[in-house]
Amino acid sequence: MALAFRNTLRAARSLMVRGYAEAAPAIKEGEMALTLAAGNKVFYNKVAVKQIDVPSFSGAFGILPKHVPTLAVLKPGVVTVYESDGKQAKIFVSSGTITVNEDSSVQVLAEEAHPVESLDRSAAQEALSKAQSEYNSAGNEKAKAEAAIAVEVAEEIVKAAS
Amino acid sequence: MSAWRQAGLNYINYSSVAAQILRRSLKPEFRADALKRDASHVRITPWADGKPAAKAQQAK
Repeated sequence: MALAFRNTLRAARSLMVRGYAEAAPAIKEGEMALTLAAGNKVFYNKVAVKQIDVPSFSGAFGILPKHVPTLAVLKPGVVTVYESDGKQAKIFVSSGTITVNEDSSVQVLAEEAHPVESLDRSAAQEALSKAQSEYNSAGNEKAKAEAAIAVEVAEEIVKAAS
Repeated sequence: MSAWRQAGLNYINYSSVAAQILRRSLKPEFRADALKRDASHVRITPWADGKPAAKAQQAK
């Protein structure tokens, strides 16, 4: 009985042998791991890219590997991603945050993000004129400020969609 | 300071307005799906002495 138990234990132990964790996908020199996600979609999940240009409240800036660690708040606009195969992807972000870490990994987290190809210029123009009329007829300071934000965002979308 | 900060709005408010405008500016085939994210529903029931003190209120 005891022997049988010991044998079972040994068998169980041999099943629990630990191996090395699977190596993380290697990030080559001159590239960095990008995570770009929004409430509606995950665009990149730790994908190696060459460069990222982002619009932020502290100005639009480009990120290359070995960038100094940074935190910034996104401004509505186009994020350009230079992929490792040389392709460029343009994604419009509404707002959110950008984080650049010490190990060169970058996180762009947006509330809403869509490829510029999904933007509709005429719909954006419609939203712009609606926002402008709301701005002119706003009753209080808060409504006026909200309409001003809408105007700013719609203008950016019109620019990006052309 | 930006105008919206002066008016008492914060970045969360800014962000939700920006996202809303972006959702409305999509091509029709993506718009319908995106507009579903516009709405959010919260039901609030105030409680007092271990009992609901009032009927549920629908908050926007």
